Amino acid sequence: MENTLQNNPSYKLEFQGKGNDFFGIIIVNWLLTIITLGIYYPWAKAKKLQFLYGETSLNGDAFEFHGTGKEMFKGFVKAVVLFLVLYGLLFLFIYLKAPVVGLILFYLGFLAILPLAIHGSYRYRMSRTSWRGIRFGYRGDKKEFTLNFIKWIFLTIITLGIYGSWMSINTRSYLLKNIRFGNIEFNYDGDGGDYFVLNLKGYFLTIITFGIYIFWWEKDLFEYYIDNLSLNHNGKEIALNSTVTGGGFFKLAIVNILIIIFTLGFGYAWAATRTLKYIFNNIELKGNIDLDSIQQTEENFKDATGDDVSDFLDLDFVM
Amino acid sequence: MRTKTIGVFYDGISSLSQEIELIFNQDKSAFTFESQNKESNYWELTSVGFDKKGKALHLYHGNNPIQIIKITDSHFIANLNNFRTKNGHLGFYYKLLNLGIKFHLGIALFIFGVIGLCYVYIIPWVAEKSVVLIPDTYDDTLGNTFFEQNTFLDSIDVNKTKALNIFAKELNLKNTKKLKFTVIDSDIMNAFALPDGSIVVYTGILDSMKSYDELVGLLGHEVAHVNNRHSMKMLCRNLSGYLFVSTILGDVNGIMAVLGENANTLQSLSFSREFEKEADIEGFKIVTLNKINPKGMSTLFKRLQKESVIAIPEFLSSHPVTEERIRYIDKLIKTESFHSKENPELKRLFEEIKK
Repeated sequence: MENTLQNNPSYKLEFQGKGNDFFGIIIVNWLLTIITLGIYYPWAKAKKLQFLYGETSLNGDAFEFHGTGKEMFKGFVKAVVLFLVLYGLLFLFIYLKAPVVGLILFYLGFLAILPLAIHGSYRYRMSRTSWRGIRFGYRGDKKEFTLNFIKWIFLTIITLGIYGSWMSINTRSYLLKNIRFGNIEFNYDGDGGDYFVLNLKGYFLTIITFGIYIFWWEKDLFEYYIDNLSLNHNGKEIALNSTVTGGGFFKLAIVNILIIIFTLGFGYAWAATRTLKYIFNNIELKGNIDLDSIQQTEENFKDATGDDVSDFLDLDFVM
Repeated sequence: MRTKTIGVFYDGISSLSQEIELIFNQDKSAFTFESQNKESNYWELTSVGFDKKGKALHLYHGNNPIQIIKITDSHFIANLNNFRTKNGHLGFYYKLLNLGIKFHLGIALFIFGVIGLCYVYIIPWVAEKSVVLIPDTYDDTLGNTFFEQNTFLDSIDVNKTKALNIFAKELNLKNTKKLKFTVIDSDIMNAFALPDGSIVVYTGILDSMKSYDELVGLLGHEVAHVNNRHSMKMLCRNLSGYLFVSTILGDVNGIMAVLGENANTLQSLSFSREFEKEADIEGFKIVTLNKINPKGMSTLFKRLQKESVIAIPEFLSSHPVTEERIRYIDKLIKTESFHSKENPELKRLFEEIKK
């Protein structure tokens, strides 16, 4: 963008959460979850997400997470049933003295659940996230994504993992390109080959430097994620740019570890808010989309099953 | 009573901010305002969601779309909060959250304390009691797995094994399952019991023995491990301790999980000491039951303590002989009444094993 027009809007992404507040939420959640023998977990998760989203702001206006404990609880129950059925099948076949068939079905089931969980998770999270009342949305097609995902996994397996880089970037591209923020579209330009080279370089340099390079590797990966991401609307654009540094990640990690060790884990909340602050405050946005003109376009979606299954599988939300 | 402030309204259709005059009517418990398209809005207090964002307060209304009003007037916010508190509109969650950091730290310490107590006292107890539920056959499987995985059995001393089995048959070992004794040709000064009733004795320890009552003491100790299913108990305790720690802390963060795992290892060491003591006492009873002199046990322990004992995998119950254990046995010898008499048959068999 050469022509820096005077009416080009400016953007600022920030995380302002305080460790003290987050600590309160974690502890109250913990207490209630223990007292209710775990039943409170979905509500606790909703409260935590509401806090984290709410402390993240764009141009001074906070993001909001509208998901509720009740929605997540329903999803949680469905996820439990799903896993019970899967394990039930496995044990049924073991009982029928056909453990191999059971295991194959079990893994195939897992493989099928994985993309469905990711898809469901994106649809739910995006639909329940808003900024100035304008919802995000995920428009990926369930069948298309599932088939692609299985194809990518298959390719990854037969190439002994080499295709993994392409799989990661393809998945990420598919998910991000299908995200809408009102009538604004997301776009991701990453390429599996570049990502592969990046990881190869990171891996070897980390070994050569006895692990020190890992922070610079991390920085490269983060940069690759953010710098290839952009928002588009009617030919206008907002480009994202990462300003994190390897030294910054290094300092962040060392201080976090010290905080956690010396507080015997109590300091987790402060470590987490420091991390989010560092990450969000190091994402620059530049472009010419007018943030006052975003229109509500995305529908409501309240089924949290995919999100809960992802939670069970310990999938990170951001791919 | 009515209070007014200026707020920013988002209508859920566009991201454009609209400045509005927001009126809170306390008598009706409702907000009213006019949006920029001259539409008048009426929001009942109970249908509004509240969220504190720094110094600002966000009001949410509706479901599809969600409309938002942002207010920053601290006076208005304070009034509204008072009204909601007075009328019991604040949920229990926010009451807990508003108690402040000191209270939260207190809760955290309390939870840690309870978890600690559970971990040290309740979990091991439950785990040990629940061993009854595990069928005996599982002990056998466990023992067999160990045998299959260890090639040291190549060096079995067949003759001594045969002799040791005959020696053991002469004794009343109070055993509940079939015992199988094996002698391994090795300098290691040790012996161990497997959960399936296999008891392995190294020639190193046999050679060091001066009298058959020492051997009876050793067998008594090992058999007590089997009779009390110590291996299985240890496994259950370790496993449940590990599960407990990782369930509680695993969710918090990785470092805590690592700290927890190490704590579990320390804990399991003390379990093992406890089981050793139990086996010593039970072993002592077996010795006296067979009218054997328990001094042999004490003599053996003292000799083992002098030689450094090479450790064997933890769950297989190795025997670090400590001062404490020797003192304990010596005390039992003094306080318990027992009759021992010379057993020529055992003596003869012992000589055979020693050959």
